[in-house]
Amino acid sequence: MGALAIKNVTKRFGDTHILKGIDINIDSGQFLILVGPSGCGKSTLMNIIAGLEAPTSGEVQIGDRVVNDVAPKDRDIAMVFQSYALYPTMNVRQNIAFGMETRGVPRKEQDETIARVAKMLQIDHLLDRKPGQLSGGQRQRVAMGRALARNPTLFLFDEPLSNLDAKLRVEMRTEIKQLHHRLKTTIVYVTHDQIEAMTLGDRIAVMKDGVIQQFGSPEEIYERPANLFVAGFIGSPSMNFIDCHLAEQDGAVGVSLQSEGGARFVSLPDGQRFAGHLGQKVILGVRPEQIEVAEEDEPALLCKVHLTEPTGPDTMIFTQINGKEVIARVHPRAAGRPGDSMRLKLDLGKVVLFDPQSEARLG
Amino acid sequence: MDNQNKLWRIALYGVLLYAAVYYLLPLYVMVTTSVKSMDEIRAGNLIALPMSITFDAWSKAWSSACTGVDCGGLSGYFWNSVKMVIPAVLISTSLGAINGYVLSKWRFRGSELTFALILFGVFIPFQVVLLPMAQTLGWFGLARSVAGLIFVHVVFGIASTTLFFRNYYVGIPDELIKAARLDGAGFWRIFFKVVLPMSTPIVMVVLIWQFTQIWNDFLFGVVFSSGDSQPITVGLNNLANTSTSVKEYNVDMAAAIIAALPTIVVYVLAGKYFVRGLTAGAVKG
Ligand SMILES: Nc1ncnc2c1ncn2[C@@H]1O[C@H](COP(=O)(O)OP(=O)(O)OP(=O)(O)O)[C@@H](O)[C@H]1O
Ligand SMILES: [Mg+2]
Repeated sequence: MGALAIKNVTKRFGDTHILKGIDINIDSGQFLILVGPSGCGKSTLMNIIAGLEAPTSGEVQIGDRVVNDVAPKDRDIAMVFQSYALYPTMNVRQNIAFGMETRGVPRKEQDETIARVAKMLQIDHLLDRKPGQLSGGQRQRVAMGRALARNPTLFLFDEPLSNLDAKLRVEMRTEIKQLHHRLKTTIVYVTHDQIEAMTLGDRIAVMKDGVIQQFGSPEEIYERPANLFVAGFIGSPSMNFIDCHLAEQDGAVGVSLQSEGGARFVSLPDGQRFAGHLGQKVILGVRPEQIEVAEEDEPALLCKVHLTEPTGPDTMIFTQINGKEVIARVHPRAAGRPGDSMRLKLDLGKVVLFDPQSEARLG
Repeated sequence: MDNQNKLWRIALYGVLLYAAVYYLLPLYVMVTTSVKSMDEIRAGNLIALPMSITFDAWSKAWSSACTGVDCGGLSGYFWNSVKMVIPAVLISTSLGAINGYVLSKWRFRGSELTFALILFGVFIPFQVVLLPMAQTLGWFGLARSVAGLIFVHVVFGIASTTLFFRNYYVGIPDELIKAARLDGAGFWRIFFKVVLPMSTPIVMVVLIWQFTQIWNDFLFGVVFSSGDSQPITVGLNNLANTSTSVKEYNVDMAAAIIAALPTIVVYVLAGKYFVRGLTAGAVKG
């Protein structure tokens, strides 16, 4: 069953076009990630889903009803705000109870709900404190608790982890994931952290300038990015973009790569699908982990190491191909040192090609 | 270095002391004069401490000094002022809070223009509106009554109370209001349960501000009231201007202190909120 359908939604503030025709469709129980650079309209879209802002045109459907004219409180949603938005004069218990009080939930049921939520989020001992007396992570839990005290059909989380330090972020990320497994409620989650996007989402919508660049599963987005922007935005370190000419050699379609230590023509698997672009300039997209150290007997490209960045499990090697800086992710033991030359090969099974003009993926 | 520092300190305290004395001297003269007898005033010097303390002047000022033809002291005027100031302050503060809440958190088409027009009211010279206001009060049947004075003070207070509250509420994050809306709260519930509890500093500022403005007002009092609805400022004026055979400085001084006392008391009791409220928002957290 469809849980949320956004149909051609646009939003304008005066003359500025913030959202330019958003279409999203997710099923019940899915975890949708909205990801994109700052200012691309993520929060605006969330506010429109919540009913806190009216779309300029288009339709929002939650469950099986169109909610354009339904008040926020009647949309059966709960939201966690970017800034948490805890009521500063109320203590944690009152913060969680406020919505239930407003809705006239009986006192006993309120107490039970607060106890359940507090236990789930481990904030039992904080119930009598004011938000000002809590740490960032604790506030985040309370904000979450306020949303969980309801049993909505849709959760909206607007960058709930953006104010936390790195360690807490990772912990909370896991907790949110477990929470979703347990509750199976549909979640729309805004972030501009692409790791959060990859780890949490069932579906990811990558936005830029009020347009959805790509909407799909994390694997799709990672392996078959629709365009240069998506390819560069998702993944860390970013995908390498190498300028090439598409050519044909001995019947195989491929590109020539030129490193500081040599040059080589590499043929692309299933290269015929690009036949229409022969002789044109293309951009070859290679993820850092798709550049590997070649075995002794394999053909390879001799690359000079400019710089290394050990991250622990892997070491990033900075080198140059076709005049572009390229990063390879290799095993620390295989990594050369700056100044050394390394024999590298490209795992061409997953490379992607982009049109330099339209920036769209080819093939 | 140390010595120089000390010199600085001494100079600083010297200047502060001088300023304090300069501002306190009139109060000192008023208080001492009000407890002296007329004989002592005539014989002695202005600055001298009283030789014997008597509260005769105070009781005369309160209950039997002549203010024009009446000789009932200031007590009647004082209670008029109280009856005027309390409702006027409460109503103008409440309306200002609601206006500020609407203009900052429930913006509508034209709300900025509305705010600009209200702001205009802060700068209107009172003299300009005396005649139209008198006419209006006449139409409402409120001329020359305490209710009429309350009305005038509320109307004139709204501009500044709205300004104070609106600027304070702009600093409250919109997301709080959004959260409360999702929690199912409406306009009034959000106001009373979320916004108002956060407003203590600005409420104190506005209460003090309005109390002082309205209590000290003379112009509206003298124009829009008469006889038994006149406020204390008018009473004080009448008392000081009533020609008696001798000028009773002690009674005048006691009367002036009585007229000023409520504002002084309010400042002493709530002054710290005033300073805190005015600086709140300037510094975050
Ligand atoms: N009320 C408003 N009036 C005019 N412009 C607005 C308004 N609200 C948002 N905008 C603009 O809309 C754009 C999108 O804002 P939005 O808050 O949706 O961005 P975002 O993607 O959530 O960014 P971030 O990641 O920084 O939170 C921004 O350029 C912002 O300036
Ligand atoms: Mg945002």
